[in-house]
Amino acid sequence: MAKFVATGTQVTLNGTDISGSVARAELVINAAEVDVTDFGSSGWTEVIGGLKSGSVSLDFHHDYGASAVSATFQDLVGTIGTVTMIAANGTAASATTPQYTAEVLINSFTPISGAVGDLATFSVTFPTTGEVSYATA
Amino acid sequence: MAALADIRAGIATNLATISGLRVSDEILDNPQPPVAMIALNNIEYHQDMRLGTKYNFTIQVIVGRAAERHAQRALDLYVNPVGNSSVKVAVESNRTLDGVVDDLVVESMPDVGSIQLNDTTYLAADFLVAVYV
Repeated sequence: MAKFVATGTQVTLNGTDISGSVARAELVINAAEVDVTDFGSSGWTEVIGGLKSGSVSLDFHHDYGASAVSATFQDLVGTIGTVTMIAANGTAASATTPQYTAEVLINSFTPISGAVGDLATFSVTFPTTGEVSYATA
Repeated sequence: MAALADIRAGIATNLATISGLRVSDEILDNPQPPVAMIALNNIEYHQDMRLGTKYNFTIQVIVGRAAERHAQRALDLYVNPVGNSSVKVAVESNRTLDGVVDDLVVESMPDVGSIQLNDTTYLAADFLVAVYV
């Protein structure tokens, strides 16, 4: 495997491949910093990893066609959805194209957006709920 | 995936709704004004994670010899944002080209002026068209 240009991150939402409407995909996994600094820290702060969390950020091209991405999101706000992403332009999970799966809270949708003359787009950032898993096969 | 030839043909079909305007979906060696010619400027690939593509075209409308007053009056009608002779209205009259593309828009008319063709000075205007596939 080598460095790569992202041209085909496969993204699914609740089992539907929505990659053809996705212009940017990002999955972030964090661990909280828990301060354990004490008088033995020699004047430096010390931290350990706490609770993990994550977020999924996606940029979309609006499309209100039947079963297309905009119509799909309309009824999902407030629900938990399953997002999968396959990294490195892969189409199936493998050691070099791992597939990440996250349950997310679909807490926003922007049904109307875009300046005059521009392609109509919208962006979302969903917090994950529970473990973010990944598979390599 | 739309074929480039189909996109050109679709734009030409839309332009042909302007009465009296000849239309070519390619650059002509010896255009006979008034004529609209469709030229591909560039293609922007990777607009999404699959095959999303943006095609940028220039439509050059040559209306007649630059010194002719009727050519200037005709150009006024072609560049108008409204009206039966409006290039913008004609091109956007069927924005999906009957389902060939997702959408198209006439973005601007950045150039108007005289051009030299076969030792004759013609009046012409360029229109930029963005096509989303």
